[in-house]
Amino acid sequence: MSHWLPLAAFVPLVAGALTPAMARGRPGLARGWALAVTAFCTFATAALTRRVALEGPFSYAMGAWAAPLGIELRFDEFSAASLFICVIMLLVLVYSGPYVRRALPATRIDWYYSLLLINLGGMIGFVITGDLFNLFVFMELVAVSSYALVAVGGGRTAALAAFKYLVAGAVSSVLILFCIGVLHALTGSLNMADVARRLATVESRPPVLLALAGLTAGFLVKAGLFPVHVWLPDAHAIAPSPINAVSSALVVKLGIIGLLRIFPLFAAAGAVSLAPLFEALAWLGAISVLAGAFFALFQEDIKLMLAYSTISNIGYIVLGLGLAGELALTGAGVHILNHALIKATLFLAAGAMIHQSGHRTLHDLRGIGRAMPWTTLALLIGALSIVGLPPTAGFPGKWYIALGALESGRPGFAVVVLVGALIIFIYFARMLNAFYFRAPSHKEMLGVSEAPASMLGPVLLLGALCVLGGLLTHWPVALIAPAVGRLAGGE
Amino acid sequence: MSFACAILIFVLGRHDFWRAALTLGASTVKLAIVLSMLPGSLAGTVYVYELLDFPPGIGIAFRADGLGMFFALVSSTLWVVTSLYAIGYMKGKHARVRFFGFFALCVSTTVGIAFAENLLTLFLFYELLTVCTYPLVIHDETPQALKAGRKYLAYTLSGGALILLGVVLVQHLAGTLTLSTSGVLSPAAGRPALLATFLALVAGFGVKAAIMPLHGWLPTAMVAPTPVSALLHAVAVVKAGVFGLLRVIYNIFGVDLLGLLDYTGWLALFASFTIIAGSVLALAQSNLKLRLAYSTVSQLSYIVLAASLLTPLAAIAAIAHIANQAFAKITMFFVAGAIERTTGRTHIFELAGIGRVMPWTMGAFTIAALSFIGIPLFAGFVTKWFLSLGALQAGAWWFVLLMVISSLLNAAYWLPILYLAWFREPRGLPRGVHEAAALLLVPTLISAAYVLLLGITSRIPGMPFSLAQAAVRFVTGI
Repeated sequence: MSHWLPLAAFVPLVAGALTPAMARGRPGLARGWALAVTAFCTFATAALTRRVALEGPFSYAMGAWAAPLGIELRFDEFSAASLFICVIMLLVLVYSGPYVRRALPATRIDWYYSLLLINLGGMIGFVITGDLFNLFVFMELVAVSSYALVAVGGGRTAALAAFKYLVAGAVSSVLILFCIGVLHALTGSLNMADVARRLATVESRPPVLLALAGLTAGFLVKAGLFPVHVWLPDAHAIAPSPINAVSSALVVKLGIIGLLRIFPLFAAAGAVSLAPLFEALAWLGAISVLAGAFFALFQEDIKLMLAYSTISNIGYIVLGLGLAGELALTGAGVHILNHALIKATLFLAAGAMIHQSGHRTLHDLRGIGRAMPWTTLALLIGALSIVGLPPTAGFPGKWYIALGALESGRPGFAVVVLVGALIIFIYFARMLNAFYFRAPSHKEMLGVSEAPASMLGPVLLLGALCVLGGLLTHWPVALIAPAVGRLAGGE
Repeated sequence: MSFACAILIFVLGRHDFWRAALTLGASTVKLAIVLSMLPGSLAGTVYVYELLDFPPGIGIAFRADGLGMFFALVSSTLWVVTSLYAIGYMKGKHARVRFFGFFALCVSTTVGIAFAENLLTLFLFYELLTVCTYPLVIHDETPQALKAGRKYLAYTLSGGALILLGVVLVQHLAGTLTLSTSGVLSPAAGRPALLATFLALVAGFGVKAAIMPLHGWLPTAMVAPTPVSALLHAVAVVKAGVFGLLRVIYNIFGVDLLGLLDYTGWLALFASFTIIAGSVLALAQSNLKLRLAYSTVSQLSYIVLAASLLTPLAAIAAIAHIANQAFAKITMFFVAGAIERTTGRTHIFELAGIGRVMPWTMGAFTIAALSFIGIPLFAGFVTKWFLSLGALQAGAWWFVLLMVISSLLNAAYWLPILYLAWFREPRGLPRGVHEAAALLLVPTLISAAYVLLLGITSRIPGMPFSLAQAAVRFVTGI
């Protein structure tokens, strides 16, 4: 049982590296292989999540070397995100089958699956590691595979978007690495729990402050928060749609989880206080909520609109973190998971539309609601969720964050939460009009058929999850409650 | 428990998209279910049913108390009638699948609103109602309809956001959202917070209740097909707004707290202004449907005014007027639609002599008009009577004066229509035009008969009026 933990992270990495060799001369095997591996990971993380729900967080010492010296893997309540990661990845893989056959050159298909598996392994590793340097390594695995996946479709713009992503990603990675170095110099340790203990006695303020600021800034770039978001829209709009789902639903969340991992390090530190940082985060989050929603309003391209909406939603999560009360943190935690579901629904549904019709702007897609009713339905459920209409999955996060804002005496932020939702609702109404009520701009639009079952299935399943995720909110809330308590109590 | 009914209709509404007949069946079944709970409600029983805990602490839960029963009864009765009418009206029009599907959804969300146990459930169905009515408003898909739809969404969604803000504030201040007899907020919360909550909730619900200056969407939404106008103006949307206001006043703040806070004085002022201004604007309209729309704006504020007086007698008027206005106004819309479908006429000056060719239709219209003017034995009189008594109970005699002025204004804009229709020679009507089709006429007559019934039988136990009294006993705790 205890070995599930390392296996969950390393099996996909190894399997990913082996994929091209496996699939050599046997085209078509790559997808089955990736599916099998991901199914294994889903099973493993489900078992681990069950254990953490029953027993609380637990650790695994790699090679039986005890914590401060050896590498510690630690599965706590936030690590349960790995289950969501696996489930969404599984659906993305199912969806990818028909998609990549048309969208990618045949020679790249093996590489595509290989990169996706490495991406998966990196993400799982990132959320379960208890070691700072490991955190960095897993993050880089995710980042490098993501750069490649953005460019995998080929074409000049794809290369350019990937390059932009790479520059932003590399700068933030270097920043994070540098700050981990600083922490190591200060404490002589890389184990998170150990670093937290030793930081409490560090007297000198500037280096601790530097490490905190650098790590925060680095992870915020990864998360794509508003002022440092410039890499995100292009990378998310140009990559193949299944990759959008992965990067927008999952990869940007790693930045947030990174923040959740590093704040406890500094919580006990006497040298710095987290309060001003939280204040800044709340403001940045609020600005991002509004700015992202506002930019989304002006997009004609449906994928670009979804990319900006990601920025807005990351803003919600950061706002929740910044408010730092128990309710607001619960909201942020729930929204990390639910937004992953919603955004995956939206990108996969939009991808199916683009795949089938060849058009990607609202104007060109007019009338698609009649041609692809199921996909459109899923897309609209996703859109309703992103607006945050009860009882969909987008509602609980916003609800808790707004309550948290009131709890900490900041009604202004509660208003921001609602205004952001209202702006997105305008976009939703535009989509509704275009898809259902406007006359098609292209005659052939009515002849477009529904996507093949292996694309439609995941889309519909995710659409259903968007509603279920809202109705069953009490599960994730109960699951992350202890972690939230630790985080809120630790200040 | 009978909450299967809301769910049942959801399921049925989705599946039976293309079967108008099944819509009708579903509506009848639902009416029967609601009726089956009636005796219990009259006796003061409150059915509670918790659907699920979402999010923790605030479940989606239903409860049928007097007020909720009253609203549910009105809307499900009218749904049967309107379905019948809609089948006749929409014959041969496009996208009927969508029309009837969303039509059914609208009414089930309305019942959800009526039976909501807490403010969050109420809000949930309230927002669903907005979303479900949008496709109905823009049914014609003309640029004008789309524009009206945009305006409708802009108003109602901003209102929805305000309500959500209010809901969050209530949860923060009171720690619960349950609608309780005496209100959940306490004076200890502090004046600024209570004021913010009151403003957010009242302004939010006020959008759909069309309190001036928040009424702009309603006349614009008149481009919709007539059964939709009937649904919006008499059954679902505007009544949902008013019902929300009643819930806020009676069950969230509570009569005692509001008596202490004195916010309702201002609300009464706004409502009075709306009553007068709505009537004056109605006078200025030459399109029949637009005149009906402004009359609705004016009539809804009777309910708001009555509720803001905070006295038990006024509360009876508020609740009873939900039904009185609904039946009378739906009759009028049915008539307007029947005339439009039969003769193609939409303007008032074109109605000369129409009573001679369509006597039954115009007879129904006359009943409704007399009810609005407030002639005794018609439903509208009951409201005005109790509202005036309630105003005197509250020591505010000037509202009685307001009732008189409003009656005069109502007479001023309905009587000319009656005169034109009955006492002028028909002009320019093609030969062979006569009574509207049976599917249009029968529902019209049924609802007109109901208006009479509501007026005449207000003292007989077992009628809606006694339910209103039961509701008042519940909300005021008397």
